[in-house]
Amino acid sequence: MKQIQGSFFTGYVTIAVKGNQPELFFQLCAQKGISVWDVKKTADNQCQGNVKLNDVNEIKYIRKNTGYKIRFMNKKGFPFHLSRFLQRKELLTAAILSIMLVLFLSNIIWEVKVTGVPKDIEEKITKQLDSYGIHSGAWKFSIDSPKEIQKMLVEDIPELLWVGVDQKGTTYFLEGVEKVIVEEEEAEGPRHLVATKKGVIKNMYVTEGIPQVSVNDYVEPGDILVSGIINGEEETGEDEDGENNKELEYVAAEGEITATTWYEAEVTIPLQFNTERITGNHEKKYYIRIGNMQLPVWGFSEPDYNAIHREADERPINFFKWELPVAFVEMTLSELLHEEKERTKEEAVNIGVEQAKNELSLQLGPDAEIISEKVLHETTDSGKVKVNLYINAEEDIAQIQPLNQGD
Amino acid sequence: MKNWQQGLKPWLIKYLALPSDVVLELPRITIVGDLHVYIENHKGLITYSETELKLKSNKGYIRVMGSSFVLKMMLPEEILLEGIIKDVKFIPD
Repeated sequence: MKQIQGSFFTGYVTIAVKGNQPELFFQLCAQKGISVWDVKKTADNQCQGNVKLNDVNEIKYIRKNTGYKIRFMNKKGFPFHLSRFLQRKELLTAAILSIMLVLFLSNIIWEVKVTGVPKDIEEKITKQLDSYGIHSGAWKFSIDSPKEIQKMLVEDIPELLWVGVDQKGTTYFLEGVEKVIVEEEEAEGPRHLVATKKGVIKNMYVTEGIPQVSVNDYVEPGDILVSGIINGEEETGEDEDGENNKELEYVAAEGEITATTWYEAEVTIPLQFNTERITGNHEKKYYIRIGNMQLPVWGFSEPDYNAIHREADERPINFFKWELPVAFVEMTLSELLHEEKERTKEEAVNIGVEQAKNELSLQLGPDAEIISEKVLHETTDSGKVKVNLYINAEEDIAQIQPLNQGD
Repeated sequence: MKNWQQGLKPWLIKYLALPSDVVLELPRITIVGDLHVYIENHKGLITYSETELKLKSNKGYIRVMGSSFVLKMMLPEEILLEGIIKDVKFIPD
């Protein structure tokens, strides 16, 4: 039975054979290796049976030199269904149209949901999204990726601390977190302020506690700058007997102590360097990517740039919730310029100084300020300039140290 | 030569237990109730009608009688007959 299995998919034909002893024609077919099934004798000189669609040509060839007459009766199976379907133009257009409609609707934003923020901010977000072109009914291709939307939203709406943008099918979910100004927590426990770095005190502004150092004092890391013990400090120093149990008053020392600190840095700058620069000339190409294959849609010629930087922006096409293996790709080809440059020793030193300062200010944070720098030593060795720098900075060196208030 | 082969074959079947239909090239007929007759190794169809099927075999003919016959499947050396079977007869040359 294996031979006739699957005949529905390949298609089969019922043929009626007329002539003297029609069954012998089927015997002839069977001998040639054509599978025949459901053979019936309908009349003395007529026989009908099923053969595969693929074998029809050979059957016609076999018939040629015989006196039999063949009539094709029923055409069954998938190929005939298909051709019958294709013949009905209206049905075909309707099917294509409906698929296109689904494709179209699957690539449209249906809903934008904003959660987690109060009404007024929600309103603002929706407004902002509108200005980006994100609203229900918008075409998905014209929209940036969720990551970029996230970034833009946080930048454009100052009240937002964070926003999560998630695209699920045709819906955009936005979850916002509002910035809440938190009152600075009042430290209850008594504490000292101690120095974190060595430096010379430049400025002191103490709101609570007793300053232990004064401007222009040199401090080492760990030195108490502002004491949290208000009275009794001197007594403990002077008389050691009994006066200790005088009530000591503890406070949470608070203040801002700015000190001049110094750093030494070493940077190495090469005299020769390569740069890559985008000249601004660019061309765009459009592709439709099917699996691994890219079909160019627009922009066929390669621009005659020496070096090209390629950036592909891919937008997948959805069908319902599934992503099709088909995507629309926009490729930007930008002209690149390689340059090999040389700089003088002086330039190199300047760049080195800048670099060291930038690195240091990154390390120290935004509150610190770099006041001055001095080149201590510079050497040139195998095309590189090595610079030793001395940098002065001003920064807050106070750190909280809780006081142990007895055991 | 021919005689020698003819003598050898039954011996092969008897002592080596080889299937007889393969060695002797005889038709193998499987009958399921009175519904199906499955004939393998035939040498060609001679006549077929609603009530009769006649096949050539190595030694003579095989004749199946009955009613409402349909050839469910026809392959070069196999035939599956469906219908109401009355008798299967071997007719020597």
